[in-house]
Amino acid sequence: MAEAAPQTSPDTELLHAIARGDESALAALYDRYNSILLGLLLRILHSRVEAEDVLQEVFLQIWQRAANFDETRGRAFTWMVTLARSRAIDRLRSLQSRQRADDTALRDAPDSGVGDAVEDVYHGEQREIVRAALAEIPEEQRRALLLAYFEGLTQAEIAERLGQPLGTVKTRMRSGMSKLRDLLGGKMGRGAGLNF
Amino acid sequence: MTHEDYKEMLALDALDALDGGDAQQQSALAAHLAGCAECRAEMETLRDAAASLVYAAAPPREAPAPELRARILTAIKSHPQDARPATSNGGAATAAAQTSNVSSSSEFEKRREAREVRVGRRLLVFGSLAASLAIAALLVTLALAWQRNARLQGEFARLSETVNRTQQELARTRADRELLAAPEALTATLSGTKVAERARARLTFDAQTGRAMLMAADLPPAPPGKAYQLWFIAEGKPPMPGSVFQPDARGHAEMHEIIPPEGRTAAVFAVTLEPAAGVSAPTGEIYLKSSAS
Repeated sequence: MAEAAPQTSPDTELLHAIARGDESALAALYDRYNSILLGLLLRILHSRVEAEDVLQEVFLQIWQRAANFDETRGRAFTWMVTLARSRAIDRLRSLQSRQRADDTALRDAPDSGVGDAVEDVYHGEQREIVRAALAEIPEEQRRALLLAYFEGLTQAEIAERLGQPLGTVKTRMRSGMSKLRDLLGGKMGRGAGLNF
Repeated sequence: MTHEDYKEMLALDALDALDGGDAQQQSALAAHLAGCAECRAEMETLRDAAASLVYAAAPPREAPAPELRARILTAIKSHPQDARPATSNGGAATAAAQTSNVSSSSEFEKRREAREVRVGRRLLVFGSLAASLAIAALLVTLALAWQRNARLQGEFARLSETVNRTQQELARTRADRELLAAPEALTATLSGTKVAERARARLTFDAQTGRAMLMAADLPPAPPGKAYQLWFIAEGKPPMPGSVFQPDARGHAEMHEIIPPEGRTAAVFAVTLEPAAGVSAPTGEIYLKSSAS
């Protein structure tokens, strides 16, 4: 076995430890990502109360489902973020349908302020990489991507929202995604080992 | 649909933006992905790109409430984990099935020997009758072996569950022992206040990982709806909440905790009586307290 073993990221190791029932590994994963995930949940839900509630759900699900994570099928970071986003979109939809039912305000204290104070160096770097990549993507493509990701809209809903033909929207989203992927290249997750 | 058609759907699926109504299309895509390595690889890079959009959301103005962390770490204790889809289980099940086959066939051997003696004695007179009896006996033996196999498999499933649980407990006990024996472990002694003069406790923790263990003795039982809660108090800061716990009938308690990074430099540790779900700032009486170090 002289060949280079596939490198496992610290996140992958944490998920494996969590699957073995290691509570301190879950605590470590929480300490590493609570803020970044809360940012995501706030952007989707626009409510501190709902976002914190979903954040708790997300970490409970990570605890319960860690054994299902398979590193041969994707990165640990992607697995975790995908889980968090889909919990948040589920919550958003149930809040929206409840809101339609009784027409009360969905949003409480919106936490939209930028608080770089709570961000560590590693996440700050990752954020810069993503910001720079998004800045290079044409506005109308970027807009469609963000509507899908943060508002949970489907291609047809985005077409309706933007008043554009469905075909145009699909093409924009496809080009936007492949540009984003190419611009990020292998830059994401680098340096992840430095904190550990 | 062609490979190219599916490939065009990948970016939209990575963003979860395919129209949900078309379930048929989605399951067709899933089937194509299962069989097409090229699309799977492409999908993986697109999913990574989608996940990186998490950084397009502004970071929160304030970190999550500190009690959220304690609440999560308490909640996982009562949430069972999904079983690992491990191959070792399947392998062991096959091994057990094999074992039961082995034992039933040796039983079959014994019965056959006994039958041969009987058959030999009566062969001249009752040859054909004996042969049909032998076949009947063989069928009965096979039916018994079949039943036994099924029973053993059920038993095996129960046993392997027990083994899994025991292994988890053992890992936990080992971690506790390592923590207690580690030369770099820190210890704080907590003594009872005037509401519980006989109570005492020791908190051992690893300042690196935050892994901690609290052992308390002679705590009065918590009234219904109440529980004890641990606090980390750093100078000039509000107390940080830890987990809640209940003493047993003899007043003993053993609690595992993972101290948040900001709590590991706490000067004082204290235990108060609080509502059973825990609170974010202490409201109840202090029962145990360490002296400032």
